Order: sequence, then structure tokens, then C-alpha cells
Amino acid sequence: MNALMALRPWIGVLSERRGRLLLGALLMLATLFSALGLLSLSGWFITATAVAALSASGYLDVFTPGGGIRLFAVSRTASRYLERLYNHDTILRLLADLRGRVFAGLVALDARTLSRVRASQWLNRMTADIDTLDNLYLRLLAPPLVALVSVVAFALFAFVFLPAAGIVLLAILLPLGVFATAGCAWWGWHASHRRVERQERLRVRAIEQVEGLAELTSYRALAAHRELWVREEQGLVEDQRRLGRRTAAGNLVVTLGIQLATLAVLLLGLTALREGQMSGPAMVMLALGTLAVSEGLGNLPMAFTQLGATVRAAERLNAQAELKTPLSGTPVEDEPSSSSGAAPALVYRDVSVMHGERAVFSGLDLAIDPGQRIGIIGASGIGKSTLAQLAVRAFDPQGGCVEFNHQAIAGLDPDSLRARIGYLTQRSELFHDTLAANLRMGDPDASDTELWDVLERVELKEWAETLPEGLATWVGEQGRQLSGGQARRIALARVMLRNSPLVILDEPLSGLDADTTAAVKVMLDVWLAGRTVLLLGHDRLALPACDHCWRLMPGEQGSELV
Amino acid sequence: MRAARRSSNSSGASHSRAWLKQQAGDVRPWYRGAVGCGLLAGVATLVQMGALAWLVDRVVTDQAALEDVAVGVVAIVAAIIVRALAQWGQEVCGQECGLRVKQQVRSRLLARLQQLGPVRLASRHSAGLASQLVDQVESLEGYYSRFLPQMVLAAAIPLIYLVVVFWLNWLAAIWLLIAAPLIPLFMALIGMGAQRLNEAQFQAVTRLSGHFLDRVRGIATLQLFGLAERSVEEVSEVAHDYRRRSLKTLRVAFLSSAVLEFFAAVSVAVIAIYIGFGLLGYIQYGPAEQLDLFSGLFILLLAPEFFQPLRTLSQHYHDRASALGAAEGLVALLDDEVENPDAAATTGAVDDERSRSMDSDAVELAPGAVRLVDVELRHAGRERILGPLALDVDAGEVVALIGPSGSGKSSLLQLIAGFIAPSAGAVHVQREPAIAWLDQRPLIIQGSLAENLRLVAPTARDEELRHALNQAGLGRWLSSTPAELDTPLGERGVGLSGGEAQRLALARVFLSPATLVLLDEPTAALDPETERAVIAGLTQLAASGRTLIIATHHPAIMTMASRLYAIEAGRLSPIERLNSPGELHS
Repeated sequence: MNALMALRPWIGVLSERRGRLLLGALLMLATLFSALGLLSLSGWFITATAVAALSASGYLDVFTPGGGIRLFAVSRTASRYLERLYNHDTILRLLADLRGRVFAGLVALDARTLSRVRASQWLNRMTADIDTLDNLYLRLLAPPLVALVSVVAFALFAFVFLPAAGIVLLAILLPLGVFATAGCAWWGWHASHRRVERQERLRVRAIEQVEGLAELTSYRALAAHRELWVREEQGLVEDQRRLGRRTAAGNLVVTLGIQLATLAVLLLGLTALREGQMSGPAMVMLALGTLAVSEGLGNLPMAFTQLGATVRAAERLNAQAELKTPLSGTPVEDEPSSSSGAAPALVYRDVSVMHGERAVFSGLDLAIDPGQRIGIIGASGIGKSTLAQLAVRAFDPQGGCVEFNHQAIAGLDPDSLRARIGYLTQRSELFHDTLAANLRMGDPDASDTELWDVLERVELKEWAETLPEGLATWVGEQGRQLSGGQARRIALARVMLRNSPLVILDEPLSGLDADTTAAVKVMLDVWLAGRTVLLLGHDRLALPACDHCWRLMPGEQGSELV
Repeated sequence: MRAARRSSNSSGASHSRAWLKQQAGDVRPWYRGAVGCGLLAGVATLVQMGALAWLVDRVVTDQAALEDVAVGVVAIVAAIIVRALAQWGQEVCGQECGLRVKQQVRSRLLARLQQLGPVRLASRHSAGLASQLVDQVESLEGYYSRFLPQMVLAAAIPLIYLVVVFWLNWLAAIWLLIAAPLIPLFMALIGMGAQRLNEAQFQAVTRLSGHFLDRVRGIATLQLFGLAERSVEEVSEVAHDYRRRSLKTLRVAFLSSAVLEFFAAVSVAVIAIYIGFGLLGYIQYGPAEQLDLFSGLFILLLAPEFFQPLRTLSQHYHDRASALGAAEGLVALLDDEVENPDAAATTGAVDDERSRSMDSDAVELAPGAVRLVDVELRHAGRERILGPLALDVDAGEVVALIGPSGSGKSSLLQLIAGFIAPSAGAVHVQREPAIAWLDQRPLIIQGSLAENLRLVAPTARDEELRHALNQAGLGRWLSSTPAELDTPLGERGVGLSGGEAQRLALARVFLSPATLVLLDEPTAALDPETERAVIAGLTQLAASGRTLIIATHHPAIMTMASRLYAIEAGRLSPIERLNSPGELHS
């Protein structure tokens, strides 16, 4: 039961649409009742006509039941069509809600956790988990409810004609419903709960096989690794077989239960008929109705043996959302004497950062005066980007503090802080959107003229003018293929549009050819004047001119400035 | 390429269909079992409904006592049990089909990957291949376990019921028969509808995921620009936009199944009314006068069952669609060489080479020695990559290969390792029991440290593992980890730094029985400190008498080498050095 708590936040998301969910379930119910009405009324009608033919009068009102039968035939078709359409609409709405919700959770994460998010595998896994939850309502919530309501309603209906039949119906079908839901869920729990993980491990083995093929082949270790793969696959297949067999057994029990319930109602009816308590048509109607109403139970074992997998998906997404609480703090206070446009000071005081077990910095000091331009040189992975991330409060250091304009960053609201910093990250992150939209991330209010202006400064104006759609050209992953240098300069232009007093540029010139590098260097030199600047690069030549240059070197305890 | 694929789309689809059918060959007994059980369940349903109608008729019409109809009750119970068991059998047999086909396809794919070899796989995305091996193969299951058996059942079972109804009352059978020629039409309708539905949903979901992934990947940037909040709204706004669009398609797509529902429902209604009126004697023509409660009720009970197999088939139609989708990718991977004529030169290189290396035994090459004679390497229709070149390396020598990227250094190492076969000339190497290979990205498998090492020496004892780790400079690291040799590595275990991973690969070299070690830029991705450690390890390797052939840019490794070669435009030329190699070993 505890395990099901993982679904709670997601059921909460669903319940925001409870009106739609209710209507969808009612449409399902209407479909089921139409099928029920069609079959039981037809049975009643045929038996009634046979009885009437035998009796002396031979009269029967055929028009009312005939009309009823036609009505049910049409309503079954119509309600089924509407139900499918309406519920698919609901599912797509839920998909939008769920994605929004997950995204909102991710947005609150810090940079370190996010760097893990980059792995496309992790992302794909998360998307698959969301897809699993999309179906929560249609597979696991609505069907048992509809089955329950219809069984109880029909049992009450039967009770009116023959109390014993109503009681027998409840006595057989309710436990059967519990078995088909809770029973099957419990039965398939372990196998389905770990299935996702097994599949994941198999995927890891496949990646190892592909990426390590050179080593495995030359060491003649293919067979040894293949054995590891086979072991995982065997485990996965065994689980699937177990789940499949249990689903089949669940279906067997449900079929037996439904058919035996029908037989029991029929036999009770026959006895009542012989004792004169009930008419023949009513008896046939109840028996056929039992058959139809039980159809609602048919799909439950299949859905519920897989419950474990759904809960597992929810657990993983929950773990994601709980990873970190968002950083908070007070807004940045501008010094009374200056406006927000004045260059601030940036000071690192005795800063220590641990990356897992490894110390990135311990006791690092660095001061950048207002308007000063400092360069940091070092090999990749040495911690240059960490310096930048500390400045934008992507995360807080384990020791020491970073100060922005003499205010400790750890106490500042990240959004308010970041609004005053233009940070060009090492990767040029462009979105699948128009060129203009990508640029306007820097300044939402920028006019087209301003966009062309900044493109000219990063030497992209001529190129952009050759684009048939100009600023409306789609760029990014699925958009127009940009060269690394072009993407770099668009990212740089975006940062320039921010026009912030503190600028951090991480490898600003990477991917540019020699001529462009020279031109952009000159341009940056002018643009950076009067701002506080932190420049990060692997080499002094890769950076615009700076007032002072430090080198980050590996030391005893993390990297040191030399 | 894409245009070409689109133009051959229809032939590609039929190719995938043929491939899917072909895979069913080896699981035929299980498939037959599933169909047989399905037919049995159909017949049991027939018996059950017949007995039920008979029972009601006897009691209502003839006022028979319950004891008189006990045989009917027994028949019903028996039929119910047989029906339930047969359904179970159908599911179990069907699932077995699916599971076996999946395993079989997976092992075929794995063999294919090994056959393609590391060189040809280098251009492919490993995560993409892994998802083909795992997820796409997974989506084949439903086709074999549910769809294929149901195809037969959807045709056979209605036919059986039709014959019975015909025997009971031919006019009622006509009502069903009107629907019967429509069955192929239904199937086509369902097919078109389901396919359109699938395509529409697939497209929507792909685009949606694309957008979602794009924004998630860029969250850090969104945060920096203070746009995170706005993006949350945007993500759900885009999802709603896709919803509106895909609903337009769904409205039409669902119509086809509504048609099937409509026919099923109307047939039941028409038959019920026909039988009722016939029993009352309102219908004077045809066989209506022979109707009684038994035949009437029996026909009524069979009418919904007549349509049930078709409705089930339409539910399983998406299994077919997703299997077809997966098959397209899998077929492309399995017969890659058809698309790419270059492949002929490299496919099966390893096997070819094994026979060649048998020849080399005749040359009496010492273990660890390498001899290349007039070797050339070219891709069909393209320029020569390597050669003609000759190279003789004695056992225990250290040879460094120097040259700009793309000059053919890696190709030369791959030739020696046997990943690719030469287009001309001969490569003489003793490849058994193993060649040690070390490049920039060592393989770390998910498992313990010991498992990672034992890949290359399955029978090695713990002390040997420790010794190898010590030699590779990981001794201190080992003693600092609490779990020692059982330390879990890989994605869920301890993350190794690039340098540690490289030294682990070095420990593998020490551990393996290989006397020839091929190294492709082993220090390219390392910081200076780790670089020193790795180079120290290499020096030890050389001192242990192993042959080292190293592609490198690193001056320290060049000094270590007893011979230096420059590769330029595929040609090999020795580099003379001022200082003699002897004093460089120190």
C-alpha cells in the first residue's frame, strides 16, 4: 500500500481535471450500459415473443422493446465513438499537464544536477516514464471504477426481479473485481516493478558492447561480455514470461468467474421460473445482462499485473522532483550611490568546492574590482566553469563565500542576481526556435534593428542577410545546421544583448576561424570597456585582452591560482 | 539519402513485412498452438451458447424440471472450463512466440554488430544502437504474441459461427453474411484508420518529445536568462497545440472503428427483431416459421461473438504498426551492406584475418611480432587511405607512429588488430590468444572492478588483479576504496576520472596474456599529471618485453620508442633521431 503513495502526486495532477475525467468515465459507463441493454433486451424480447407465441392470446407489444433495441444499437456506437475521442483528448491534456509539471520540477534544479540531465539516455528514460503515467487514468483508474459502478447497478437491478440473483452477482463479481485489480497487482508486482530497471541494464550492456567493441574484439573478450548480456536478457525474458503467464492466469480466473456467475444467475432464474416467482423473459434478460456487464472486468488483469511498472515510473519521476529545493534569497540591492548599470565587484573569499569525493578548490581567493578585466587560464576540467557557476549562484560552495558588490551571493535571489550578469557558457546552447527568438532571450524587448546591429558586431550580419527567412530562420537541434563558430557567435550576441554590468565569457572564441577571431576580439575589447569581466579559456591567445591573467593549476587539494 | 529512402518507401515497407513474417518461421509450433487454442476457445463458446439456449428453451417452452436439463448444465460448465483454459493456452503460446522471436532477433543483431566491427560502428550513435537492440526489438512482441494469431482467428471463427447460424436459420445467416463480405473491408478500414492514428500519434509525440528534450537540455541557459518560469508555460502550451492538431486526425481515424462497432450493434438488433417477429409469426416468408426459442436464442447469442474476433483484431492493430516501424530500422541494420557497397571490403574482416593469421604461422612469426607486406587500404571507389607500405616489428620493440589526424595512423592500428582487412598485401600477426588494445575511451562495464579486469583474463586470481593495478599505478587508489576489488564501476557505481579509467585499461594490458599492445593516442585526453602516470605505465609495459605500437603526439612517448615512423598521406617513413634509442629507455 505504501508503494502506491508514489502515485499520489500524479493522481493529484489528474484530479485537477476531475470534471473531464468524470465525464470520460460516464461515457465509458454509457458504452457499457448500451451493450448491456442491447444484449439483455434482445434476450428478453426473443424469449417474450416465444412465450407469447405459445400462449393463447399470442399478443405482445413489439414496438417498445423493438425501439429500445434500436436505440441501444445506436447509442452503443455513438457513445463508444465519443468516449474514445473525448478520452484521447483528455489524455493529451494530461500529457501537457504532466510535462509542464515535470519541467517545472526540473527548472528548479541546480546546475550540477542538470549536468546529469544532459545525458540523452537519462532524458529518454524520463520521457518514457512520463508516457507511462499518461495512461494512468485510462488503464488503471477509470476501468475499475466503471466496472464497479456497473456491477453494483446491475446487481441492484437484478435484485428487483430476483433478490437472490442480485446477491449472488455481488458475491461473485465483487471478489472477482478485487482479484482482477488488487490481486493481479500484487501478483505481478515484483516482476513488473523491476522490469524497467532490467531493460535499462540490458541497454547499458548493449552500449558497452558497441562502444567497447575494439577492446572486446582484440582481447578476444566478446564471448565473456556476451555472457553478461545473455544473463541480463535471460532475466528480462524470465520476468516477462512470468508476467505474461500471470496475466493469462488472471484472465482465466476472470473468464471462469464471469461465465460461472452467468450460469449461477441462469440456474437461480430457472428455479424461480419453475416456482412462478419470475417470468422467462426476465430470467433470460438477467443472464445475458450478467454476460454483458462482466465485460468491464475483462481488461483488468492485463492492466493491473503491470501496476508495478507504473509505480516505478512514478517513483523515478518523484525522485527527480525531490532532488533539490530551489535556491532562494533576497533581491540584489544596488548601492545607493550607483545605478544598476554600474560595474560591480566580484570577490571569491576562501572558497571550497567538492565534487563528490574530489576537491575542486579549497580556500581559493580571487578579487575582481569594478571595471577590471580578469582572465583565468587552465586545462579543461580544472574548474574554470565552476568559478563562473559560483558567480551566477548555480550552486553554493561548501566553504567560503562569493560576493557580488559586497553582498554574499549565498543570500541573494538567483534570478535577481542573474539579471545583472551576462554569462556565455562553454556550450553554445541554442534552442529549436527562430534566430530572433534565440537572440531575444538576451533582451525580450529588443527591436529588429537592435538584433541586426548585434549580429553585425559578431560578424554574422552578412550571413544572416543571405538567409531567405532572415531573422525568422529556425535554428537549433532540428533547425538549420549552423557551424560551431556561427552558433558560438549567436550565443555571444545573445549575451551582449543583455547589456549587463558583469560579464563572464567562457571560451568566447572557440570554433571561430583566425580572421573572425581577430575581428571579434577587437569588437569585444570595445564592448567590454567599463564592465567587470571574468574571461575563461584554455590559452591566453584564446581570450580578448585582459588586465590581469591567472592560471589554474592542479594542486594538492584541488586547483590553485598561479 | 532521405529522398532515396522515401521513394523506395513502399518497397521498404513490403520488405519489412516480409522480414517480420520470416521471423515467425522458427516459432511455428508455438504459433500453431496459439491459433489452435484460439479455435478451441471459439468452438467451446459455440457449445456453451448452444447448451445455454437449449437449457432455456427446455425449461421455458417445455416446462422441463431442472433435473431433466442437468446434462445441459454439465455441458455448459465443461464448455466454460475448456474455453477459459484454451484462452489461457492461446495467451501463453502467443507470448512464447513473441519472447522467442525477440531473443532470436537480438542474438542476430548482436552477431551483426560484431560482424560490422568497431571501425564501421564508429560512425553510429551507440545509444541509438542500444535502443534498437532493446526497445525496438521489444516492440516486436505484440505482433507475434497477439496480432498474428488473431489474424487467423478473425477469419476462421466468424466462418464457423456463420455455418452454424446458416444451419439454424439461413435468413438470419444472410444478415450476418451481408456483413461477411464486408469483413475484408472492415479490416482495410481498421488498418487505414489504425495506421493513420498511429502515424498521427507518433508524429505528434515525436515532435512533442523533441521540443520537450530541447528545452530540458537548455534549462541551465534558460535559468541564466531568467526565462525558466516562462518556459514552463511554453512547454505545456506547445503540448496543447499538438493536442488540438492531433485531435483533427483522431476524429477521422476513430470513425473506422465506429463503423465496425455500428455493424456489430446493428446486426444484433436486426437479428433480435427478426427472430422476435418470426417467433410471433409476423414473418410469413423464408425459414421464419421453423424458428423456435432454442434456435432464436442461439443465433442471438452467436451474433456478438461473430464480431468479437474482429474487434479484438482491431485492438491489436497497433501491435502491427509498431512492429512494422521497428522492423524498418532493424532490417536496415541487418542488411547494411546492401545500402553501402564499401562494406564489402571490411565486413567479416576479423574472420578473414583469422585465416590469414593462420598463414602467418607458416611465416613463423614470434608472438608479439608484426609484419606488413605491401599493404594497401582503400575504400571502394575512393582514394587510397594507406599504403603501399611495409613494416617489420620484432617482438619487444616499441614503435611510435606520428602524423596529423586523418593521416591513417588509426587505420594502420586497426589493420594490425584485424578490425579491417587490407585491400592488397598481407598482414602477418599472431592474434591468438589476444591483442591488447588501448584508445582514448577505455571500456568500463557496469560491474565490480574485478569483473572489469577479468574480462581479459577470466581465470585471474585476486592477487594477480591487485598486482596489475599496482603496475598501472592504481595501487594507492585501490587501497583508498573501502570495497577494494568489489568496488562497483559504471553508471551506477563509482565514477572514474578520465585518468583513472585510462590506468584501469592499462591494468588490463598488464593482466592479459597479449604480447602485442596497440595504443591509439593513449594520452590525448589526459591532464599532465595523469599523463605522466600513464607514460610510466607504458615504460613498464615495454620493459616487460611486450611489443608496443603507439599512435601518439606526445614527446615523452616518442622518446620512449625504439623506432619512430611518420605517416603522411598513407605513406610510412622512418624518422632518424640524433640520440640513440638505447639511452632513451632510462
